[in-house]
Amino acid sequence: MSTTGAARLIRLILRRDRFRLPLWWVGLVGLMAVSAQSINSLYGTDDAARAYVSTVGDNPALEMFAGPGYGFDRPTPGAVLVNETSLWLALAAGLMSVFLVNRHTRAEEESERTDLIRSAVVGRHAPVVAALAVVGAANLAVAVGVALVTLPFGFPAAGTVALAASIGLTGMAFAAATAVGAQVVGTGRASAGLGSALLLLAFVVRGIGDVRLPVLSWLTPFGWGIGVRAYAGERWWTLGGLVLFTAAEVALALWLSSRRDLGRGLLPERPGPARADALTLHPLGLAWRLQRGSVAGWAVGVFLAGLVYGSVADDVEAMVADNPQLADYLEQIAAASLADAYLATAVRMLGVAIGGFAIASALRNRSEEGAGYAEMVLAAPVSRWRWAVAHVAVTMAAAVVLVALAGFGTGLAYAQSSGDAGQVARLTLAALASTPAVLVMAGIATALFGWLPRATLGAWAVFALFAVVQLFATVLRLPHWVTLLSPFGHVPTVPAEPWRALPLVVLVLLGTGLVGAGLVGFRSRDLASA
Amino acid sequence: MSTVIECRALTKHFGATTALDRLDLEVAEGEIHGFLGPNGAGKTVTIRILLGLIRPDGGTATLFGADPWADAVTLHRRLAYVPGDTNLWPNLTGGEIIDLLGHLRGGLDAARRAELIERFDLDPRKKARAYSKGNRQKVALVAALASDAPLLILDEPTAGLDPLMEAVFQDTVLDTVAEGRTVLLSSHVLAEVERLCHRVTIIRKGRTVETGSLVEMRLVSRTTMTAELAGDPGALAGLPGVYDLRADGHRVTFEVDHEALAAVASRLGQLGVRTLQSSPPTLEELFLRHYGDELEHGQVDHPAVAPRRNGDGS
Repeated sequence: MSTTGAARLIRLILRRDRFRLPLWWVGLVGLMAVSAQSINSLYGTDDAARAYVSTVGDNPALEMFAGPGYGFDRPTPGAVLVNETSLWLALAAGLMSVFLVNRHTRAEEESERTDLIRSAVVGRHAPVVAALAVVGAANLAVAVGVALVTLPFGFPAAGTVALAASIGLTGMAFAAATAVGAQVVGTGRASAGLGSALLLLAFVVRGIGDVRLPVLSWLTPFGWGIGVRAYAGERWWTLGGLVLFTAAEVALALWLSSRRDLGRGLLPERPGPARADALTLHPLGLAWRLQRGSVAGWAVGVFLAGLVYGSVADDVEAMVADNPQLADYLEQIAAASLADAYLATAVRMLGVAIGGFAIASALRNRSEEGAGYAEMVLAAPVSRWRWAVAHVAVTMAAAVVLVALAGFGTGLAYAQSSGDAGQVARLTLAALASTPAVLVMAGIATALFGWLPRATLGAWAVFALFAVVQLFATVLRLPHWVTLLSPFGHVPTVPAEPWRALPLVVLVLLGTGLVGAGLVGFRSRDLASA
Repeated sequence: MSTVIECRALTKHFGATTALDRLDLEVAEGEIHGFLGPNGAGKTVTIRILLGLIRPDGGTATLFGADPWADAVTLHRRLAYVPGDTNLWPNLTGGEIIDLLGHLRGGLDAARRAELIERFDLDPRKKARAYSKGNRQKVALVAALASDAPLLILDEPTAGLDPLMEAVFQDTVLDTVAEGRTVLLSSHVLAEVERLCHRVTIIRKGRTVETGSLVEMRLVSRTTMTAELAGDPGALAGLPGVYDLRADGHRVTFEVDHEALAAVASRLGQLGVRTLQSSPPTLEELFLRHYGDELEHGQVDHPAVAPRRNGDGS
């Protein structure tokens, strides 16, 4: 292995990411701190933990999102903590790892900066090793931070260490997987997409495994991570499994990296058309052409996720039958059926995820500008308005289709298991209720693009905040007004509650206003140089 | 002949940096205008203002008599642009990009497109990410040259081209001007500028330091003379308009102001001139004259031309 110069590259990455890395750390560790505090105050005794398990905790449908519920046979506050935080934090650590590793491997290589780096006294494997070292350190720092903010609340030390280590090591497993993917595909966009797709696939496969077929969970890093059974008689060897898996992936990435040409993937480059088709000749068609790959990926993803979520909804009804306590709980929180409450949550979560798509897609304007592609189009007789609207139009059209597909998938699976064909249309409509909130996300991204183009990363910070509010509002017992900060907090939770038009209309107006404001800002500012 | 591009006292700041400092530029219809200046002098900033991509902080810029910021779209129907740093969508092929840019500009001549692809020896089926810098530039050049826009704005278009392709480029540009088009050519290749351009503007640190035709510029510059004399070369030293006199026996080399040429020539006759060589300044000398102080500070290393100080001429 040739790693000469890796130490210097590590310092370069730390310099370039001196804000990015601390932001991820603060986000992840902060989330854990609030969760630990909240769970300690709400479920801090074994009795309270038992009550949690008998109501919300021990629910096969919720296992989809929360995990298998290790330790629920003898509930402790620690088991509640694991159930509420472990998978989500591992998912967030995975996202951090995917984006950071891609940023410093394939994306860097695509920009041809790696050519310059590698022409210096720098070994063939040094860039990959440096990226993995920094991301490894970031995951380690997250794990240490998670442990340090959890311990003061009196959770047992061994379990806390196991929980923290499982989060960091799961993140690292996806860092290594991204490093492998970065050798195979040829562009940074494809590599980030592949890494995210693997991450979400693993999350969903583990969900199916925990609900239906436990062996599936063990095919994913999530299964091995949560399998350490923190606070429930730790099985440390599962963490060893994660380490071995990660090491094997790293070895594979390094091996592949010395078997390909720099700047190319492993897949051969094929010639394309010599003439453009009619679609590619207009700004709108070009925007679609540039985004269709990621839209297709998202479409498959949300449809499959919908199918999975819909297919377990029936289990909820079955559970109510043999759990009177749960039925009581249900009556307290809503008049609707438990299945509907679950389905409303499922389509809303998919809506939040599609909000992430909307941000990435609306920020395409910014990345086209930064890369210098926008300049080529704007030097032609194409107005700023026409150019920028094209990408936002693709964003919104795709978002509507994605939201509908998510609901369609959920409805299809639920109709199949419940024998009620009407569920397809009902859940597709229910999912579409998220569209105005998704529009607001696109609006936030576009407003930043127009007025603060250097701060577009802020759209992701806002998204992370909204997602946390959405996912953790119940467990953190957040005051109602906090949930209303997020546009998704205003969307009626159909089909569990009736439709309310007013909030949707307000969200549409707000989203349209934000998009419009962003476009006005863009029209009056200087175009950035490449 | 009407004016196509006109900049007056154009000023642009980026934070504390002054990119353009009261820059003037005038390009007449039908000419190839060379736009010269060292790296960072403000050539690309000026071009981006002319394209309406950025807005000046002071002064005026007009294109075909209109405001490039306010009337960007209308004006862009009448121009084609080749950026200095050609960035192309990595997953589109060169052929697709040529069609896209051509179509956005209002269509392009298919026969001309095919001919230019042939002349520039470009493979239009390759994805842009597989192109070298030179090939990316060819894509932008073919798209611009195949359009029938009356104005071409070319920002260092040959920086990545090999000499063979550079020759193709020069021939093609001369063809387009024969059709009556106007070209603004920013370039560092002085031989190319000397061959193509009718007039040049030299800028420095965001200011215009010299503008005019090469003939005019030579008229206001000093000519280098080398002579072998029968008499004493020292007699030339006192003449007005003679500088940098170096005598080596009967052989003498000096520079002379254009206005003093007649007087010096008659004095040379009196001194019994045996051989005489007179060389008007090359564009390179004109160009470097304005950066003499940088040469003296050792910032530019160019042994072929002696450092000279002539004031900054602005």
